[in-house]
Amino acid sequence: MAHDAHHAEGHAHAHWDTSIYPFIISFGILALAVAFSFKFVYHNGFAAILSLGIGVPLIIAGIAGWTSEAMGKGEGLSYGAMGWFILAEAMIFVSFFVSYWYTKLHVDVWPPAGNIELPRIMPLVMTFILVASSLTIHYAEHLLHLGNKGAFRTWYLLTIVLGACFLGMSVYEWSHLIHEGFTIGTNAFSTVFFSVTGLHGSHVVVGLAIFLAGLPSVLRGDIDEGFMRTAGLYWHFVDIIWFFVVSQVYYW
Amino acid sequence: MNLKEWIFTTDHKRVGVLYLIGSIAAFAVAGIMALLMRAELSTIGPTITANPTQYNVWLYTHGAVMILGFQIPALTGFFANFCIPLMIGAKDVAFPRVNALSVWLFYVGVILALLTFFIPDPPDVMWTGYPPYSTITTGNTAMYSFTVLILGFASIIGGVNFLTTVAYMRAPGLTLNKLNIFVWCTLAAFVLQLIFVPVLGTAVSLISMDKYLGTNFFDPTKGGDVLTYQNLFWFYSHPAVYVIFLPFIGVVYEIIAAHAKNMVFNYKMVVYGGVGGIVLLAGEVWVHHLYVSGMADWLRIGQMVTTLMISIPVGLMMIGLIGTLYKGSIAFTTPMLYALGVVFLFLIGGLTGIPLAVPSLTIGVSDTYYVVGHFHYVMAVAGTFAIFGGVYHWFPKMTGRMYNEFWGKLGFWITFVGVNIVFWIMMDVGVKGMPRRYYDYAHFPQFEGAHQWMTVGAAILAVGFTIAILNWILGAINGKPSGDNPWGSPSLEWSTVSPPPHGNWPSPPSVAEDWHPYGFKKG
Amino acid sequence: MKGKRMHETIRRAAAGLTALILTVPAWAAGGDKAAPATPDPARDWDHLWNEVILDITIIGILFAIVTAWFIWQARRRPGNEVGASVPLSPASAVGWVVIPIFVFLSIDLYTAANGWVLWNTFRDVPANRMEVKLEAGMYSWDYTYPNGVRTQNELVVPAGTPVVLRMTSRDTLHSHYIPDFRVKEDSMPGRITYLWFNPTKPGEHIVTCAEYCGVMHGYMAGRIIVKAPDEYAAWMKGEEIRLAAANAPEPAPAATKPTKPAKSAAKKT
Ligand code: HEA
Ligand code: HEA
Ligand code: CUA
Ligand SMILES: [Cu+2]
Repeated sequence: MAHDAHHAEGHAHAHWDTSIYPFIISFGILALAVAFSFKFVYHNGFAAILSLGIGVPLIIAGIAGWTSEAMGKGEGLSYGAMGWFILAEAMIFVSFFVSYWYTKLHVDVWPPAGNIELPRIMPLVMTFILVASSLTIHYAEHLLHLGNKGAFRTWYLLTIVLGACFLGMSVYEWSHLIHEGFTIGTNAFSTVFFSVTGLHGSHVVVGLAIFLAGLPSVLRGDIDEGFMRTAGLYWHFVDIIWFFVVSQVYYW
Repeated sequence: MNLKEWIFTTDHKRVGVLYLIGSIAAFAVAGIMALLMRAELSTIGPTITANPTQYNVWLYTHGAVMILGFQIPALTGFFANFCIPLMIGAKDVAFPRVNALSVWLFYVGVILALLTFFIPDPPDVMWTGYPPYSTITTGNTAMYSFTVLILGFASIIGGVNFLTTVAYMRAPGLTLNKLNIFVWCTLAAFVLQLIFVPVLGTAVSLISMDKYLGTNFFDPTKGGDVLTYQNLFWFYSHPAVYVIFLPFIGVVYEIIAAHAKNMVFNYKMVVYGGVGGIVLLAGEVWVHHLYVSGMADWLRIGQMVTTLMISIPVGLMMIGLIGTLYKGSIAFTTPMLYALGVVFLFLIGGLTGIPLAVPSLTIGVSDTYYVVGHFHYVMAVAGTFAIFGGVYHWFPKMTGRMYNEFWGKLGFWITFVGVNIVFWIMMDVGVKGMPRRYYDYAHFPQFEGAHQWMTVGAAILAVGFTIAILNWILGAINGKPSGDNPWGSPSLEWSTVSPPPHGNWPSPPSVAEDWHPYGFKKG
Repeated sequence: MKGKRMHETIRRAAAGLTALILTVPAWAAGGDKAAPATPDPARDWDHLWNEVILDITIIGILFAIVTAWFIWQARRRPGNEVGASVPLSPASAVGWVVIPIFVFLSIDLYTAANGWVLWNTFRDVPANRMEVKLEAGMYSWDYTYPNGVRTQNELVVPAGTPVVLRMTSRDTLHSHYIPDFRVKEDSMPGRITYLWFNPTKPGEHIVTCAEYCGVMHGYMAGRIIVKAPDEYAAWMKGEEIRLAAANAPEPAPAATKPTKPAKSAAKKT
């Protein structure tokens, strides 16, 4: 918070801190929810696009404004907070896995009809890439800590590239499977397969988005270590979750 | 007054007040839904609407908004925001903007829930949203899913914020054993939220995915399983009742300690035995909502034992409360009346949970008005009384003004009479076989008289609540000045001026070695 | 199939564990299971219900009296402006945790043991039962007798014979609730659940739906008609003749008294 308590002292009409961006983002999210209803419940594509057209810009503007307003004013508490947030995130995956096991152990026939052979090699390569990116970001952090900004920048960029490769391979694999007629609606297994890999993929996207949001500061060289540690923590989490995803949906 | 500095505020006290206004508004709307339902049920056959769907939409809105839009936001939104930073001597929360985001997401969630009254095919899935009905109804299930997701997300970021705040921003000298009981309770509630809300989020997302995106989580013909949803839902929603219970009992502790001017009885027992025990057990009892759902027998029997064992930490918390009264100096102020009301009425609510915990007995009363009576006693009575008492208790701190004692007490007694009429009769007809969620009870004509009494009771209690709300509004506008510490409490929030300025204290407070939030001194 | 077996193993293990924990109190409370007479769960339910209600009433009144007494004693009056509680010694602080835990735990385990015994009564179906299939749907109860006779919303049973319903649903959740027999259990698509009851004497009992299943949930009702064994036999004979006639050339509605014709949709489960 920019403001100090004693600043308010003395003034009869002390200034109260405000920020308009949380408000803007919230109503942007409302528009997204309404858009979903328009599209899927009332089958009104036009209204859906309209509402998306309101919501998405609001959210983007909100996030951009927020970032520029708050950059560099953090109190260094985000690392601890990220730990709590990851607990909540992990529970989403836990619920998916538990419902998967519950279903799988309850039915007489598993896998249900309609399955196809999943690729075996590709997931291993993807695992390798993701683990590598976890190591590169860890090394980057280390370099930043030592103050070696140039090398840090290289390893940081390398992490982003590896993450992007991982995403690319996911997309390739999905389109391949869908092409073969294995879609999210085929049966209960396909539902789990696409939703769990999709959920993980969305976390990779968020992780990359955090890195990209930090990229300008990295290039300028004024990135702070707190941000790097927090972003790195999230990325390690995304990496660890992948082990569960890969072992449960591909090899079990 | 500068409206912009209220709406876009990031100050925890103002965010808290925004939460209060929103959640009381949600309470009023959902309460009016309850009155409409009671009016409908006052006679057999159609009374005020001939359309059962209309009734179901009221019921859905009532349940979902009361829990997700009133009690959880009032307790973990308003009370946590207003009190925690003041109680720990911090100038604000760790992430004030995130806090503002959470309150506005809460408003957005409530707006979404109330859009129900303006859209075609409103959701009619009940607050539990069980598939397959929720995936085949013509009602708008997406609205339900998004309401829950948005309110849940608001609550998660609130939880992250407060856990961080209390971990890092306590005043110097404020050790863990000097935290107010309310702070402990609320932190525990936030831990439960962080662990379990994502599960609920997953559950409600899956029904919308099944319904609109063609997935097969709950479709048995494609290998899915309908029971998965119920497990996920209650895996959150049972802990959710402790997310409500913990902060509200924390509020009651604060009120009783302050108005009996007494040290909390056996502080460590309350914190480690009571709060800790509840956190440990909260996640192992969800199957008690599935006793008649066709779950595996071993789960039903196993969770009978864990459910019954919840009476241990809750009982310890009751002992702590009652012990705090012992040798106190009790002033019968309005907040104290509400708090004492909670002590008595929560006993009824909690103890009627004991037969429900036994699956072989639940076989007879599950999904009847007995259950409805049980949970209204714990939530609608004990929970709401605690919230109302808490608002009265911190009212001078919020506004710098005093409410009117006479109208406060009158409102309390009217509500007290009303709730006991409504919810006692509910349990009685429930045991005799009246099922819940009935628009019409044509094949149970013998219950018509009882239903009429419940409707009368609901009208009475509505008068009482309305008096209380009006008392706040009028008190905030032109109540008498209250002074900084009308209750003479050593708890930190009373050590600053009322209402506290931005930043709370002119200079950051620190606490002395022998200070304790409940260390009342003569003088 | 593998999943099924594994699940069975887990189930057994957990049931065994629970049994182990509960054995001691259950001994004290339970009789031997091979009792010859058919148990009457409804009567046992009333018995245990009253007992538990009595227990919680006593606990509640005790707590309430102590609270009221403290409130009266500690009201604020001259000379009592501030609370005067004395700090607990470490030993009594621990005592105030340990003793209540043991007291509450023993009440809990006693209740659990009794509940478990009754649970076995509700779940162990007697060998001399009659099996009826039930398919619930929006909004009717469709029963199929072992000999293929079907009825809708009315289940006719002989007095003195335990009846077990094997239940499923063709659409949403429903719950077959017979208030007089204190039983209910949900039915749902994709799973078969069961409940049993013991109709001891002739009479009529209402069946009502206890799980929200859609707009007309409140209207989804039926009846259990308990007839004396000979009357039941006569009724069944009539139904069998009608069924045979229906299976012959032209299908005719196999309806019982005032209700609509049975849906012939009852699927094999
Ligand atoms: C704040 C909310 C709240 C709280 C605190 C509780 C507390 C408890 N509840 Fe309740 N419950 C609900 C809200 C709550 N409940 C709701 C909303 C539903 C229905 C949801 C729906 O279906 O829509 C519900 C439904 C519900 C069911 C499912 C019924 C059914 O649908 O078939 C069950 C079953 O076990 C149950 C049990 C309990 C128990 C054992 C407790 C215990 O925690 C109570 C413990 C307290 C005491 C026991 C009293 C004090 C203790 C002592 C005096 C010590 C001595 C006592 C003993 C040793 C016994 N509740
Ligand atoms: C915290 C939770 C909460 C609260 C407080 C209440 C409060 C009330 N509830 Fe509700 N109830 C639920 C949670 C709650 N309920 C849930 C979860 C369900 C289950 C839903 C489901 O089945 O899915 C349920 C179901 C339920 C039913 C069951 C219906 C059925 O199964 O068919 C009934 C029936 O009577 C009922 C009645 C009431 C009444 C009369 C009140 C009263 O206490 C309400 C009193 C409040 C008011 C009357 C408002 C007063 C205020 C004003 C009028 C505003 C004045 C404004 C100004 C002056 C500005 N409730
Ligand atoms: Cu069938 Cu409710
Ligand atoms: Cu519960």
